[in-house]
Amino acid sequence: MMPNGRTTRRQFLTALGAGTCALCAARALGRDISGESTSGARTQVAVHDAMWFERLPDKAVRCLLCPRECVVAEVERGYCGVRENQGGDYKTLVYGNLCSTNIDPIEKKPLYHYLPTTTALSVATAGCNMECKFCQNWRISQYRPEQVESLLILPENLVRIATVRRTPTLAFTYSEPVVFYEYMHDAAALGRRQGVGSVMISNGYIREPALRQLCRVLTAVKIDLKAFTEKFYADQCAAHLEPVLKTLEVLADTGIHTEVVVLLIPTLNDSADEIRQMAKWLVDHMGRDVPLHFSRFHPTYRVQNLPPTPVATLDRARKVAMDAGLRYVYVGNVPFTEGGNTYCPSCGKTVIKRVGYNVDPAGLKDGGCASCGHKIPGVWTQQQALAFKPKEMAAPKGSVM
Amino acid sequence: MSGPGRLTRRRFLRRAAASAAVAGAAATLPRVWCGAAETPGPAKSRVVVIRHDALAAEGQGPTPGRVREILDEAARALTGDAKAADAWARWLKPQDRLAVKVNCLGLPTRPAVALGLVEAVGGIGLAPEQTILWDRTNRDLKAAGYTLRARGGVRCFGTDALEARGNGGYSADVYTSGATGSLVSRIITDEATALVSAAVLKDHNLAGITGVMKNFFGAIHNPNKYHENGCDPFIADACAQKPIRDRLRLVICDATWPQYERGPPARRQWQWPYGGLILSTDPVAADRVGCEILLRKRAAVGMKPFDAVGRPVRHLASGEARGLGVAKLERIEVVSIGRPWLDVA
Repeated sequence: MMPNGRTTRRQFLTALGAGTCALCAARALGRDISGESTSGARTQVAVHDAMWFERLPDKAVRCLLCPRECVVAEVERGYCGVRENQGGDYKTLVYGNLCSTNIDPIEKKPLYHYLPTTTALSVATAGCNMECKFCQNWRISQYRPEQVESLLILPENLVRIATVRRTPTLAFTYSEPVVFYEYMHDAAALGRRQGVGSVMISNGYIREPALRQLCRVLTAVKIDLKAFTEKFYADQCAAHLEPVLKTLEVLADTGIHTEVVVLLIPTLNDSADEIRQMAKWLVDHMGRDVPLHFSRFHPTYRVQNLPPTPVATLDRARKVAMDAGLRYVYVGNVPFTEGGNTYCPSCGKTVIKRVGYNVDPAGLKDGGCASCGHKIPGVWTQQQALAFKPKEMAAPKGSVM
Repeated sequence: MSGPGRLTRRRFLRRAAASAAVAGAAATLPRVWCGAAETPGPAKSRVVVIRHDALAAEGQGPTPGRVREILDEAARALTGDAKAADAWARWLKPQDRLAVKVNCLGLPTRPAVALGLVEAVGGIGLAPEQTILWDRTNRDLKAAGYTLRARGGVRCFGTDALEARGNGGYSADVYTSGATGSLVSRIITDEATALVSAAVLKDHNLAGITGVMKNFFGAIHNPNKYHENGCDPFIADACAQKPIRDRLRLVICDATWPQYERGPPARRQWQWPYGGLILSTDPVAADRVGCEILLRKRAAVGMKPFDAVGRPVRHLASGEARGLGVAKLERIEVVSIGRPWLDVA
């Protein structure tokens, strides 16, 4: 996922400023949630009621947030490491416990068809519901809350920071937002009411009822499709492919703006045949207009024995996917490539030019090609983002919220 | 966020010294993993089950001094030595820095058992300051009745007490073993030359039982990732992590008041005064014996075995497959002291 770039002095100071602002705001407001120390030193773990679980006999619970559906005995935690059974009540330990806070270009998520040239206040907590051996952010995603330094920023303060910093979007990203669902949900709902949109950058490992509920407050989603084989998901991610595909179908059904990213890892998921099948599935289930990004792998965590993805592999994957029918296919983590631009599928002119995070949308006019007027799918104004409403559904059964 | 701790010169030297001490000890001491296919030695693994009325006492239970006497007797039985000090000296050297991994999640290892061990190893010259009683967090230890102490006597603190070194007190390096990839507590990697698993015998809602092997889930940073499929093969893989395997000398399972159902949380109604301690150098065999005790108790009260209630104990076979010890009961020599070990009335 993100980020791969080093923190610049400007970014550091920005993050520091945001954190300080939040702390001051929290103190000024005199608001806090019950916190308790689970460690011998400085890390504070906030405790907050979890959503999406059911109670089982003898104070056990079953988590209904993600497809793992962990059965969690008292005193134990779920697979994600951030949701704990405390006396038969299920609690999240990461509500507002942010271990990463940055203001990023929206293109860094990557979202290429969503408010180009704008920024997103990007946040994360510890934890993930997968264990990808190639995780680029494993030092937060594979940690438990008490193992990282965190800053308590409640939803009110997060939205306030976004407003003060004039960032139109909150991005829940870096680790896995599904595991800090409650915080994301509350912050996104509040942000929506105050004119700030919210995007989720996720692995898509979430159960349908929780996802549909979330789509009522989000304005866009990016899903990491790790590969298109069950074997890859099982061997490399300790997860399954099918639930992720189900998530993509649900997202398409709700109509929320969605982009898909595939991190290509040499020899593991980069075969032309697999990419062709994946692209065909996306065309069939999400339509030809869903933006697809191929991203470059760098050795990390438990996959240190493979080289970075060759640029030629990314370019080849882009061609295969476009040949399969997708119209907007991109190459990421590579600064200078034509695969980073958006082209009009009608006249072929450049609509949005990108060099790294330098973005020139001169070819885009009123959500269409400035040259021929062809409509380009995406979210191009904040008004459009905030106006999104998903198809409503009946309240899910068998869940406690 | 917390990044990896930098390797300062001081830390490098400390780590190098610890590694050298471990390597030196390994060269002079008998292999721990007896009975494994790769290890020459007796055809059977030996496990001592020692039972005593004093161990079944309620509340705080026996004094550490009484536990020490019982452990000394068990150690002699395990090795065949006439003197307890000779037995302890087979596993530990006076200069060792000993880390005793207790289990404080749910039903805990009784402090008297751990402190009795400290007294016992004192018989071969290990000062209390050379021993750390530890688990994941200070909070867990305090809740289990342990007295936190950083210096001045037997030390006792959680991995999180070392978080100033980075990674929440866990190693900077990822250790890979089978299906697991984890950071390991710095109490093991930075502080200890020898390790003892001092666990509790109890039922586990996923793995069937938790004992001296699963105790090491509390030594890695990401145990939550390893609970699927009845925690198998993850329990065995965690035990086989190099820093653990290199240092482990002995396992002790607190079976004073075991729990045969609805663990790991403590549930008094499913505990009974077995009054035992299980001692071995073979963690797989020790857990097999513990498993048999719980199975016998479950049968005695009309409960089905673990297999029949959807939580078969898989990790013992995986442990044997990885050369950690012996899983089959017919290859285990159980030395029973006091009441017969399978008398669960």
